Amino acid sequence: MHIPILNIPLLYSGAIAQGAIKDLMVTIISTILSFILGTLGATARLYGPKLVKTVVYWYVEIIRGLPAILQLFIIYYGFTQWGIDFSPLTAALIWLVAYGTGYGVEIFRSGIIDVPQGQWEAASALGLSRTMTMFRIIVPQAYVAMLPPLTSFVVLQLKNTTLLYLVAYSDIMYQARLGTDATEQPGILYLMAALAYLIMSLAIGRLGYRLERRAAAYR
Amino acid sequence: MQAMFSAWVQYLPQLLKGVGVTLELTGLSLVVAVVFGFILALARLSRIRGLDLLATWYVEIIRAIPVLILLFMAYYSLGQVGIALSGMTAAVVSLGGFYATQYGEIFRGAILSIDRGQTEAAAALGLPSSVTMRRVILPQAFFAILPPATNQLSNLIKDTSLVFTISLADLMYQTYAALSINFLPMDMLLLAGVIYFIFYLVIAKFLGRWELNVQRSRY
Amino acid sequence: MSNEAVISAQRVTKRFGTQVVFEDVSLDVHKKEVVAIIGPSGAGKSTFIRCVNQLHPFNGGTLEVLGHTLTGGGPPPSREVLQDIRTRVGMVFQTFNLFPHLSVVNNIILAPREVKKIPRPRAVEQAMELLAMVGLEHKAEMFPRRLSGGEQQRVAICRALAMDPEIMLFDEPTSMLDPELVGEVLAAIRRLARQGMTMLLVTHEMQFAKEVADTVVIMADHHIVEQGRAAEVLDAPATERAQVFLRRILKPAEVDEVGEVAPARLRGRL
Ligand SMILES: Nc1ncnc2c1ncn2[C@@H]1O[C@H](COP(=O)(O)OP(=O)(O)O)[C@@H](O)[C@H]1O
Ligand SMILES: [Mg+2]
Repeated sequence: MHIPILNIPLLYSGAIAQGAIKDLMVTIISTILSFILGTLGATARLYGPKLVKTVVYWYVEIIRGLPAILQLFIIYYGFTQWGIDFSPLTAALIWLVAYGTGYGVEIFRSGIIDVPQGQWEAASALGLSRTMTMFRIIVPQAYVAMLPPLTSFVVLQLKNTTLLYLVAYSDIMYQARLGTDATEQPGILYLMAALAYLIMSLAIGRLGYRLERRAAAYR
Repeated sequence: MQAMFSAWVQYLPQLLKGVGVTLELTGLSLVVAVVFGFILALARLSRIRGLDLLATWYVEIIRAIPVLILLFMAYYSLGQVGIALSGMTAAVVSLGGFYATQYGEIFRGAILSIDRGQTEAAAALGLPSSVTMRRVILPQAFFAILPPATNQLSNLIKDTSLVFTISLADLMYQTYAALSINFLPMDMLLLAGVIYFIFYLVIAKFLGRWELNVQRSRY
Repeated sequence: MSNEAVISAQRVTKRFGTQVVFEDVSLDVHKKEVVAIIGPSGAGKSTFIRCVNQLHPFNGGTLEVLGHTLTGGGPPPSREVLQDIRTRVGMVFQTFNLFPHLSVVNNIILAPREVKKIPRPRAVEQAMELLAMVGLEHKAEMFPRRLSGGEQQRVAICRALAMDPEIMLFDEPTSMLDPELVGEVLAAIRRLARQGMTMLLVTHEMQFAKEVADTVVIMADHHIVEQGRAAEVLDAPATERAQVFLRRILKPAEVDEVGEVAPARLRGRL
């Protein structure tokens, strides 16, 4: 079947848009979860007992040291060897959260370190407890300092979703590849996929920039 | 455990065959990324209107697109418009083209971080701008470049694993080939993980140490 | 002092955007003359001497430097003209601006080697002579950050002199220095003056200006408010603005009203 190239955007933009929504969905869910786990991980890494510190340290190193595909495959294929079989969506989410947590710990940790020591001293002089100081004084300031790396982190997470087609999660890439198989028009289809990612990445970048400006305003 | 180790011993040679391709790919892409990145940095810093805009657009757009899509575009899409690249070339073009944006921004930031008094002093002495760049700016920028540059190198080596999707026989590809034969996905993926992790540690820790020493002996 | 003007500014005007830095500045520097520019900070003194060696372009008037005529607002000078001016005019900065990654001797020989293509042994020999002149020959192999501010500034003077300049520009060469280090730098400049170097010098050291300069120029409020023979201008300024400025600098009690503090006076050197 020969399809004129100009018809392809018409035929496939619906599918690509659907894929984009699925990509955005896992990006948002995994970002929120990684953000929470990353905060806890960073706190543990900074103030936890020695053993916990070491475990978190090596967890971060492993997440940062292994290729993304390899991590995803360990979850999707690897675990089948031990009789655990995740669905594509589950595998996708587990990986994105595991990966995001590793990076989240580092981002959040440097955010906390950047808060001046004087803040701790001022808080304890006021009689605030350590936990109170951490979550009412330090963390809010750390979040502001973290905004720029956090924005790049969300973009990174979005870009990671390109790999999910490898575990048959029906995202943008999956749709683009299906389309390529049917029409033999990789040129236009991958261009559409690239555009979809470009628009989403730039939108996230803009949003992050706006938030930074807002946060910087009251500083 | 016993079983895993014997599987490792049996399949290590096959995986090591892939390591050669992985390293070759890393080396070639790194050269492209550094050279092209330097050109991008100079273009963005130049006062030639148009040139700086062109470079800025290139950086902003390419950075926002996932490497996997760039790879597919280089490998599949370009073929459709009559530029048929081999898998290796497509991989080097896309990885090099993407990491050039990363290295370009590192170079640009480092050059901008040099105190303006340095260029003024050089200008007042009558040094031409090429000499100023070579003898005054770059030697000082080098130290600001090293840490983020090694960081990107470890990202690059991880991202070479993407070429497995276009059937280049790298470490990831050999791993996948092995696990599809022996149905021991976890064992094979962990073995690959160990190899990738060694590279990561060598780059991050070894180079990191060396950097630290260079920095310490600085002037 | 001969009559030949090597720098001649006529109604030079400089703006950054819409902000006027100085206007209608006219000033001659003759061969072997030492001209000191004094005035409150923000008056545009640094910007003016940076126009002389074209670190900044300017917007109006003409500026003749060593036979080259630069026109404000006109096309930028050609590469050859720029090169000629910069190799023949040396400059010493307030913040020294030594190259931190190069040893003292390499700082000094960089430009002679790269611009004048002088062979290394000769360049080093010349550098050592210059260092000896300022008493720093034993620091030749050190890196700038290991030197005191006064030593760094003396090296910076050597670096500029190594190009054999016909004119030297100094932009507050001692105002970043601790008081006890000021003397050694002023001594080096004084010696240069005695050897007949043509100099244009921005300074807050009134005593030094009076002693070394032939001509003193007072800049304030974007203009030259007074210029003339050093002793006359400093001892008996004619204009109201110059009187106010000098009184403020010389009489500590009146400083606070405006908050402009001359570093030299703060150190009790006057
Ligand atoms: N690069 C610049 N851009 C904009 N304004 C400048 C710049 N450099 C100096 N200025 C302004 O020009 C004025 C004169 O500065 P300067 O020449 O350094 O004064 P001085 O050396 O007499 O203290 C100041 O108001 C300063 O803020
Ligand atoms: Mg100044």
